[in-house]
Amino acid sequence: MKQAFAWIRRRLNLSYIVAVIISIFVALLIDAIILVAAGHNPIAAYRGLIVYPFSSLRHFGDMLEYAMVLCLCGLACVVGSRVGIFNVGGEGQLLLGGLVAAYVGSQMSGMSMWLVIPCAALAAMATGGLYAFIPGILKVKLKVNEVITTIMLNSVAALICSFFSSSVWKNMSQNEGIDVKEFRFATLIRGSKLSTAIFASALVTFFVWYILQKTSKGFEMRLIGDNPRFARFAGLKTDRIVIIAMIVSGMMCGLVGMFRVYGAEYAFISSKVSNEYYFEGLMVAMIAQYQPVPTIIISIIFAILKSGARGMQNAGVTIQIYWVMQATVIFCMAAQTGIRASIQKARQRRAAERDVAARREGGVANE
Amino acid sequence: MNNSGPSFWTTASSTLHFMLSSATPVALAALGGLLTEHAGIMNIGMDGMILMGAFVAAAVAAIAKSALLGVLAVIFLGVLIGLFFALFTVKLRSDEFIIGCALNTLALGLTGYLADAWFGLDGIRIDMTIPAMQNAYFHNINVPLIKEVPFLGDVFSGHTAFVYITWLLVIVMWLFVYRTPMGFWIRASGESPDTLRTAGKNPERMKWIASILCGVFCGLAGASLSLGKLNCTFVENMSDSRGYIAFACVIFGGANPVKVFLAALMFGFFDALGDQLKVIIQSDLPYAYLVNAIPYVITIIMMVYVVVSGQRRRERIAKQQLRKLEQK
Repeated sequence: MKQAFAWIRRRLNLSYIVAVIISIFVALLIDAIILVAAGHNPIAAYRGLIVYPFSSLRHFGDMLEYAMVLCLCGLACVVGSRVGIFNVGGEGQLLLGGLVAAYVGSQMSGMSMWLVIPCAALAAMATGGLYAFIPGILKVKLKVNEVITTIMLNSVAALICSFFSSSVWKNMSQNEGIDVKEFRFATLIRGSKLSTAIFASALVTFFVWYILQKTSKGFEMRLIGDNPRFARFAGLKTDRIVIIAMIVSGMMCGLVGMFRVYGAEYAFISSKVSNEYYFEGLMVAMIAQYQPVPTIIISIIFAILKSGARGMQNAGVTIQIYWVMQATVIFCMAAQTGIRASIQKARQRRAAERDVAARREGGVANE
Repeated sequence: MNNSGPSFWTTASSTLHFMLSSATPVALAALGGLLTEHAGIMNIGMDGMILMGAFVAAAVAAIAKSALLGVLAVIFLGVLIGLFFALFTVKLRSDEFIIGCALNTLALGLTGYLADAWFGLDGIRIDMTIPAMQNAYFHNINVPLIKEVPFLGDVFSGHTAFVYITWLLVIVMWLFVYRTPMGFWIRASGESPDTLRTAGKNPERMKWIASILCGVFCGLAGASLSLGKLNCTFVENMSDSRGYIAFACVIFGGANPVKVFLAALMFGFFDALGDQLKVIIQSDLPYAYLVNAIPYVITIIMMVYVVVSGQRRRERIAKQQLRKLEQK
């Protein structure tokens, strides 16, 4: 029994888990205050939050689909931050990936599904990777801050997508949209957005986890992220690894875009394919402190919250409250870490003072 | 030439007019951002600060029917946001990047949610024909003398008070940063905090002050969006990544208020040019989307240029010093 506990403690970072749970509870309390301030009944809203994702199979499927998106986006961010480069531009890579995948699908109409899907996936990954390559090379070769460039590229990508999907590549009767209904993934739960894409996502997730945690390449990446100078002197090609990590991150985002188009929406309409999904994944990665396994678990928790936020609409609460929840959780996490650090610092200082005082007394006694 | 003359001049003057008004929110936010930049805080959260400012300004102005009260509320809110931001970045030593991102998300969610809960689906929209609401936004000011000058009058007259105050603030900020002890301390708190501590000043306090002032400036930038440019209207996500552009302007201008203002003007110019091109092209294809992308692409090019030129300059200085040493 004791051994089992010791094993659990070794494998799990208990203080971190406790911190996450406390943060979520405190955040929900703070959000209850905001709900009251806006004139809503927090109890009714939170009942909707908890019940909705599990109220029907369809909602549960939607929740899982969203967890998949969050998880892949979060892991894409983790891959970048492992080597010390923050890919904030995943939103643009996701959108462009989806756009190109949809275009490929619309051009290959009538061909075999087994040919179209790999082509679309490759095209999406290539597009996402290329779009991530721009800020990556700027960061590595010219030391241009990647956060700003990627954010700017997000806006550019959104506008490019609006242009192509509403004009030259449009094939739907609506204002914009590229239809790919022909090649959609099979849905797993009828009426929900959950499709076979989740198996592909699970595969990608497993590979990312395996490479980051279990291979020497993952160790090298961590080395570069923690101490780039040491990594360079240890003989690693840091520049190349950073760029490759950025490209892989972009490829994952592009793939998410393709999954959204072929698995959930069956068409490319930029506002539907992604609504700041990557930023939500980024937040998940931040809460998970850029670790792969916590990213997977926390993306499921936040998928439940997001799906629940939809359930809160019955109580008159709009979906934006989900962003508030996510942000408050992050602030609570940051506050906890900060408070704990400052308490530790104060304790160390007190110990040092005691030490000095004791030594002084000892010195007096010796004389 | 004679035929196209008048239309060219009106186009030019309206473009420049639009440039000045479009650059104002960015310039105001960038004036705040340069303080945190000097204090050594990477402030990604400016976008959220602008958004909150825009919301509070519009909400208070719409309820109180007074634009001035809206601005006062925004200044108060800016202090609060600055304190909140500094609490995490300075006191609790959290990652500035994470806090900035979280602040943006919080602002996006909170303003969208509250606008919907308090003001209904459309957000805050004011019917400008209602006489009682005429005080809820800032009117365009016709500058007496300049108004009469043919070309300049069209460019420089007829802006809201925010535009003129921003020009004044650029000079005030330059004096503050480079000519007052406080500005010097704020710069020192980012560049060399230990030196400042040795000199008997608390660098953390300077960072608090910088971030509070940044909150106020970003709040004003938001107010200039909702009360100045759009006449007491708030729509979801109306900051439209202006905070990030302001951050890019800060870096482009080397955190020097005058240069930062010029960078903001450059952004405003391309924004205005895009607007004019939309009128000129007039084609079935929605090229407007692509034209709208110009300012963002320009921002990236600006960033690359400033970083590369900075590296070149440092290399040149290093070489000069080397030569001097060799001569000795």
